[in-house]
Amino acid sequence: MNIHTYEKLWLVAAMVLIVGFIATITYGSVGLGITMVGDQQDTVEPTELDDERFSDPRVAQVGENEYEAYVTAQMFSFQPDPIEVPEDSEVTFYVTSRDVIHSFSLVGTNVNTMVIPGEVAEMTVEFDEPDEYGVVCNEYCGPNHHNMEGMVYVVPEDEFDLTELDAEAPGEVETGDDIDVTATVENRLLDPIETTVTLEIGNETVSEDVTIDGGETDETTFTVDSAQLGEGDHEWTVTVDDHTDSWTVTVADELEDDDADDDADEESNENTDAGDDADDGENGTEDETDTDETESDASGGDGE
Amino acid sequence: MTNTYIESFPAEAKVVRAAFYSSFLALAIGGLFGIIQTLHRTGYYRFMDSADYYTVLTAHGVLLAITFTIFFLVGVFTWATTTSLDRPVEDIRFTWAWYGLMVVGTVLTAIPIFAGFTDSEMSASVLFTFYAPLQGHPLFYFGLVLFVVGTWLAGVDWFRSWWAWKQEHPDKRIPLPTFMVLTTTLMWYIATLGVAAAILLFLLPWSLGLVESVNPLLTRTLFWFFGHPVVYFWLMPAYMMWYVMLPKISGGKLFSDPLARVVFVLFLILSVPTGIHHQYLDPGIAEGFKFIAMTNTMFLLLPSLLTAFTVVASMEHGARQRGGTGYLGWLKALPWRDPVFAGMALAGLMFAAAGFSGMINAGMNINYLVHNTFWVVGHFHLTVGTAVALTFMAVTYWFLPQVTGKALWNRSVALGQVVLWFVGMTFMSNAMHRGGLLGIPRRTAEPQYDGFEFEAAVGSVGELDAQIALGGALLTLSLVLFFANVVGTALNSRSDDLPANEYADTLSGPSDAPLVLDNLKLWTAIAIVLVIFAYSFPLLSIIERGGLFGPELTELPVHIGLGLEYLWATTISTVTTASETVVALGAEVNW
Amino acid sequence: MSQTAEHEASNETSEHVREIGHDEFDPIGTLTLIGIYFLILVFLWFFMYFVEFLGNDPTVVSGTLVFLATGARSA
Repeated sequence: MNIHTYEKLWLVAAMVLIVGFIATITYGSVGLGITMVGDQQDTVEPTELDDERFSDPRVAQVGENEYEAYVTAQMFSFQPDPIEVPEDSEVTFYVTSRDVIHSFSLVGTNVNTMVIPGEVAEMTVEFDEPDEYGVVCNEYCGPNHHNMEGMVYVVPEDEFDLTELDAEAPGEVETGDDIDVTATVENRLLDPIETTVTLEIGNETVSEDVTIDGGETDETTFTVDSAQLGEGDHEWTVTVDDHTDSWTVTVADELEDDDADDDADEESNENTDAGDDADDGENGTEDETDTDETESDASGGDGE
Repeated sequence: MTNTYIESFPAEAKVVRAAFYSSFLALAIGGLFGIIQTLHRTGYYRFMDSADYYTVLTAHGVLLAITFTIFFLVGVFTWATTTSLDRPVEDIRFTWAWYGLMVVGTVLTAIPIFAGFTDSEMSASVLFTFYAPLQGHPLFYFGLVLFVVGTWLAGVDWFRSWWAWKQEHPDKRIPLPTFMVLTTTLMWYIATLGVAAAILLFLLPWSLGLVESVNPLLTRTLFWFFGHPVVYFWLMPAYMMWYVMLPKISGGKLFSDPLARVVFVLFLILSVPTGIHHQYLDPGIAEGFKFIAMTNTMFLLLPSLLTAFTVVASMEHGARQRGGTGYLGWLKALPWRDPVFAGMALAGLMFAAAGFSGMINAGMNINYLVHNTFWVVGHFHLTVGTAVALTFMAVTYWFLPQVTGKALWNRSVALGQVVLWFVGMTFMSNAMHRGGLLGIPRRTAEPQYDGFEFEAAVGSVGELDAQIALGGALLTLSLVLFFANVVGTALNSRSDDLPANEYADTLSGPSDAPLVLDNLKLWTAIAIVLVIFAYSFPLLSIIERGGLFGPELTELPVHIGLGLEYLWATTISTVTTASETVVALGAEVNW
Repeated sequence: MSQTAEHEASNETSEHVREIGHDEFDPIGTLTLIGIYFLILVFLWFFMYFVEFLGNDPTVVSGTLVFLATGARSA
């Protein structure tokens, strides 16, 4: 075969390019530790997703600065959304789909994976500085694909917590009875936290300092005299750091029927459910924070 | 005195012409959808609901990437075998049969796609990649199968010609154009096994309700088994034109016949075992398999880099025969005013740029940066959208007189057309590549989000959008000029003063090529071994993990609802209509 | 190799001024062009990998190699 010298030269140059490319990529893998999304995770049932990771999509702390984020993608949202992690942390994302193929891609970064039903994508990422990243689905997933987005917030360490707040109180009491407002505060961090549980009801504010060990749950009960509040609807709000939970208690002269107690229970249960229901696709576990403050003020005014 | 293709092979010229016209029809519709998407995405003009964007995108992808390219390919390959073997096809009825089958397949696929615009329950807005669990109407898959079977039969036709020729010329080397056709066809046979398996074993039964679910990772992997080599399938006719037409039009000879054979052999053996590089970011496939796919892909650069040298050297030969001198001064001696040359040379230049973004796409971990971003769209608008499409349009200006016997309507318009395409695509694909690096996703109707914005270090998203819209407008204008020339030429009267049906001679001829290069059985066997090596373990692992038919999938609001009876009724009526169309077309092209 | 490269134009195009055979043709222009292409490719590859890609933090790393990766990045 008759190959011109120049072409032989080019053949060598081409091989140098090819080998050089492969070498660069290998350096990225071996030298820099850049890891591909792979087959590290077992498969899951996309319709069930009943393992403890995806039945409650959330961020969990697993070590000193190590966190795991369990994320589900579905038409046309991500859960949880937003995802909040602290600065200087190593976060491993576990992402799966409930329906079709999506992607989970942090805009302006190299965090990018396909999300395939049945498979779990695992990606470990280091977040250094506080920042915020948009999340897009970059695989076509249906007619509203372009509306599928989310956020990842990397927050300063002192602003970060994994506190779950759930407050309960009867929906209706007879004037003169005590109103017990019970705040259940779970600290999902590994370290203890010191914080304050505050109840606002009517124009009263009461608070209590608590220390909660890592992984523990604290119950704080405030007792309010309904007579002081007077007859009518009273909005109450429990606050722990930036988490709030609120509901309304009705003080009546005489309870209308015997079922009133049951109704009250149901109402407070509903309240709890709204917080825990991970499937509502809106705000996931952070639901409690959605409180309309002006409304609460207005009802406080009512109490006067 | 002329010796055009239509005079030597009048019957074949009709088939080639029909294939070209089918391809142009797809180009016209697909191009129209292209400008609609450009304006919609960038937000310059939105007249439809964003949900319909995906129907438009499906049609754009299928019509341009599959219909336009492959209809043109079968025309070129039929021309190449008949011309280079200097014999008519063995049975022209068989030739019309596979052409008809491809038409029917296209029509059946198009019906559910276009039904997506109506209120009917039928739809197939599943994009060109039709990833399950997104589901299209069964007709969509059925039509694709018929289309592919049509191309298989076309391959049989070309092989029949070669076998018959070999009986009469037992000691002769396979003529280069036929060699290119045969190797490409063999590659296509191997590649299409993937999509055939995906559709026939899984997607079609699933869309008909015969099986409950599929394994989304498995069908996706089978798709890419086919999805990467398909890009070489549509690229190979462009390569053939660069090898056998461009040297001649430059005024020279092909630099090396043996290296051209080597290149096509490399494409045959390396095109298929690379598809997993489209799945670098897929969970469920081990990193080791991805690395193997990358190595294969990187070595697939070799035939393209060799092509760059051989083709440029052939052009240089022409330029120097035309009096060109100097290290780079010879470039001025090339026939830049000839639209056939200018179009192909500009397409080749764009392919050099596309080669670079392709090298990035081939890289494993760097894929985190670009995967499914607008970068990828920029890349394939340079490859299929320019290297292939512009080459096809440029050689059309040579082919049209050959298959119609009529002079080209207007060469100046043709020259303007190819330059406009080049300029338009420069704007559009440059902006797409840059947008991708900002994280702007591909395949979305509205890349504008509520919670965040894309931040550009240089320029702005607005500037990129403007470039894309401008590029899209220039490309549309270019298409209008192209169709003006096609129609204008068809309306011309027959001419006796046309160039002869010839392709380039070689400087280093087939006698320099080792005989083993023509051993197609050997290369096919090696190709199959490489495919088995690259794919059997990943496929087995995917099946072991997720099952052959996958997990239970969420019931989606898919748009079948019409049932089997409707399917068959539609199929039969469509087949009837389509075959009537074919017959009518056949009759029409007899004038 | 001593044959003259110039031949009388005898065939197809009017611009065809000489016939150059296989042995007389050295594609030095091609080598020049493709050499430039080679340099562009090498430069762009390094730019894309080490500036665009590695500068696009954060990146997916394996848990155990995180320290190494950050060390390498900050170095």
